Amino acid sequence: MRIIKHKTNIDFIGKRKIAVYISSLVNLAILVGIATVGFNYGVDFAGGTVVELKFNHSISAAEVRKRAEDGGLHDVSVQNIGSADENTFLLRMGGVTQLTEENAEKAKAAINGLGNVRNVYPDMNNGIINFRSATALTPDVIKQAVEATGTGVQEVRTLGEAQGGGFDYQVVASGMADKVRASLSKGTAAPDFQERRVDYVGPQVGKQLRNKGIAALLYAMIAILIYVAFRFDFKFGPGALLAMLHDVVMVAGFYLVSRREFNLTAIAALLTIIGYSVNDTIVIYDRIREDMGKYKGKPLPEVINIAVNDTLARTLLTSLVTALSLVGLLIFGVGEIWDFAMAMLVGILVGTYSSVYIASPLTIWLDERAAAREGRAKGGMKAKTA
Amino acid sequence: MDRGWWWKFGMIVAVTLGTVWLLIPTYVSLVKMEPAERNNIAKVQERLPAWAPPAKYRLNLGLDLQGGIHMVMRVDTKTALQKRTERRGQQIARWITEDKKLGEVTVDTDPEKLQLTLVAKDPATMDAIEKEVLATFTDFTRVSRDGAKLVLSPDESQVTRFEQESVDQAMLVIRNRIDKWGVAELDVRKLGTDSIQISLPGRSDPEQAKELVGTTAQLEFRMVDDTNPGFFQEMLQRTPPPEGSNITVTDEDGFPQLSGPNREALLAYVKDKVPEGREVLLECMANPVKKNDCLSYRTYLVQRDVPLTGESLESANANISQINEPEVNITFDAVGAKEFERLTEASVGKRMAIVLDDYVHSAPRINEKIGGGSARITMGRAGSKSFDEWFQDAQTLALVLKAGALPAPVTVGEIRQVGASLGEELIKKGSLAALVGLLMVILFMAVYYKKSGLIADVALLLNGLLILAGLSLFNATLTLPGIAGFVLTLGIAVDANVLINERIREELDHGKTARQAVDQGYDRAFWTIFDAHVTTLIAGFILFVTGTGPIRGFATTLIVGLLASLFTSIVVTRVITTYFVHGRNAQTVSV
Repeated sequence: MRIIKHKTNIDFIGKRKIAVYISSLVNLAILVGIATVGFNYGVDFAGGTVVELKFNHSISAAEVRKRAEDGGLHDVSVQNIGSADENTFLLRMGGVTQLTEENAEKAKAAINGLGNVRNVYPDMNNGIINFRSATALTPDVIKQAVEATGTGVQEVRTLGEAQGGGFDYQVVASGMADKVRASLSKGTAAPDFQERRVDYVGPQVGKQLRNKGIAALLYAMIAILIYVAFRFDFKFGPGALLAMLHDVVMVAGFYLVSRREFNLTAIAALLTIIGYSVNDTIVIYDRIREDMGKYKGKPLPEVINIAVNDTLARTLLTSLVTALSLVGLLIFGVGEIWDFAMAMLVGILVGTYSSVYIASPLTIWLDERAAAREGRAKGGMKAKTA
Repeated sequence: MDRGWWWKFGMIVAVTLGTVWLLIPTYVSLVKMEPAERNNIAKVQERLPAWAPPAKYRLNLGLDLQGGIHMVMRVDTKTALQKRTERRGQQIARWITEDKKLGEVTVDTDPEKLQLTLVAKDPATMDAIEKEVLATFTDFTRVSRDGAKLVLSPDESQVTRFEQESVDQAMLVIRNRIDKWGVAELDVRKLGTDSIQISLPGRSDPEQAKELVGTTAQLEFRMVDDTNPGFFQEMLQRTPPPEGSNITVTDEDGFPQLSGPNREALLAYVKDKVPEGREVLLECMANPVKKNDCLSYRTYLVQRDVPLTGESLESANANISQINEPEVNITFDAVGAKEFERLTEASVGKRMAIVLDDYVHSAPRINEKIGGGSARITMGRAGSKSFDEWFQDAQTLALVLKAGALPAPVTVGEIRQVGASLGEELIKKGSLAALVGLLMVILFMAVYYKKSGLIADVALLLNGLLILAGLSLFNATLTLPGIAGFVLTLGIAVDANVLINERIREELDHGKTARQAVDQGYDRAFWTIFDAHVTTLIAGFILFVTGTGPIRGFATTLIVGLLASLFTSIVVTRVITTYFVHGRNAQTVSV
């Protein structure tokens, strides 16, 4: 059985200018979108708390949100996941601890009311308040005072006596997940839901993870580029790199436009795409190299067109097979895994396109420029073919 | 069929058998055993036949699939450093004014810049003070001097060392606390410079996890009751311990102790057998190889009274004594010094237990009354230890003492908790997704390439088994992204066969014979496949190095899968194809 004939003769090279223009425009639009609108960062990178709840009766997302708000939980996004009859929801909150800007002010006032207190420093990132009191206080008193303002307290630590007189204390606020449980079970005898998953990432950790992710993408591109430059002629490098960048930006565009959460799994998808994108390109480059030896004398654009046509069947088929393997994940995957499979699918599609329309034509363009420069220097013009 | 072919064929058969053999522990633990028992390596080993590979080589399920808690704790070294600088400032001022009588000074700490500002009452004394202070307190360097004002800051290397120590202390405390829950396969490790990563498989109660960062470590000094040295020996003679608890008597320093591998069993046994006002506390005998594990526990009978706590402790340092033996020097604050003097005076000849979070860390004997607020703890006999190990004991003890004295606050950086029920659902959905993906690929290959496609399918199945076996061999964990990686790798593996088969078709179109077409198809496609695999491998390795948790599971699967694919899609399919083309002198090849 054959879907694609071997002797196709499509003029890919002739259409290269249009393709490059369109791709550049789309890429530019995505980059502008990332800079202005930005990704929908998941907790991995933005910090915050995600709780997955499964209710044991049917309930809508709006009802869950209303219950949370009635229980004193504001700024929460509720999203239904899985099929509707699973009654499973993701609750996402920006804060990690209950110490929000608003709560911190109230708590600060309460602590100041405890007596001769100074240096009250709330630290929203870590959910702690440090302060120094002239007289010794008991943790219970501090805890009661802060909790009365609506901030749950996990613990009050005594940090000992200070040199200049006074006693140091640290109030540690409870996590958001506790608040979810408390506010949703308000008014019900027993909780009618089950906490299935809690993801909680502090803002500093989130920042670290994001920087590491971006660094990983850069390292991967550089390492692959070095390999391609080492294995192939150096003039193939820029083409492979631009095709790679093109694919990564396109997949990033998928996350940008679909508003799917951009998180660690997304970074994994982008990295895999970087590796895979070069796959298709290499298949064609290999053939170009082979044909350059075979058709000595023919101009490079023609050789490339022959190579692209000859490898068209395998370029399309390998992509098709890899895409087929993702079908199961697209049917049964939920959440991050579905996003991953979808991103991979997008990556495979644009990767195939870019190998044909971006990577190969760029090689011609670079070759022409090199020839032109050489020509200017020597005063003659002859296309270099090998 | 030539010799080379038979060699290759033999190797493939051997690899296949080896793969199946390697998968036995994985099969037993994942299919035959209850989820609760899987993590217990001893129980898995029991179920394995003698000829199977050790239970160690099995595929573990990641925390996201079996349920559990993954936590990253951040040690707030900044706060600890501020506290320490403040304390040191106090000591320096006291040393100048009281010990050396160099003149009156006031000291002020800048917590942001970590600087001490000393101001002399009489500016004339400052020159002498500066000289003496810099010569004695070498952990500080001069920032500026302006008349009667001297600004100091802690030495960089001291700051780094202190930060490392703070993280070590926090790890010690966390290990102590988790050990009390009896988690089978916990993993506590340092992450970067200021974080600690903890994995608790099978646990799903974040409340309990928070206990870890809850209170600061409790360091106590309590007297050991040695009025009856044979106390534990007699107990064991009166009531024999329950069958299988492995409780025995050990006697190393003339004080018999009970020893047992199980904390709960030991505590249950001594319960209700302790006199009024006394309590049995345990010492953890650490595994010399894996420091985070307690190999066994030993008992101490101690007084319930706590005369002195770590709050009164000012510093603790490991040193080498004049007679060239390791020791720990400790100093108490004014209140502690008085209490310590009273305590040691009343208890000469007795042992004092140093207790951190309810664990006895050592019980040195008090040789004489100790006044002045500073004491030396000698490290007993070296025994069979090397000097380094002996000195390390002293360092650990100093760390224990400091953990109670100078706690660095610990905050939660990251918690990821997955309930067991969700984990089970994810396994089901994940396996189903993998099966559907695999089936689609297999069907496509068989339909599109006929016999060659079927050969590729056989290689693909072997590839799947090889991935699982490889992961088991590396003791890797299977995560949800790992399953996605598995599926994707199978797709990429078949790519190689598509490349080969397309090349063979092309060669046939050029009018080559079946035999030539197959040989050239494989030879010419080889480097293309190799390059394509290497580029994806590069991405996989970078993901492995930078990723954590489930993402790392994805990277591992990808790497193992690509390596396996090089073998199955090139070597295995070629050997089988060659059999059909050469062996039967076929004129055609089915692609």
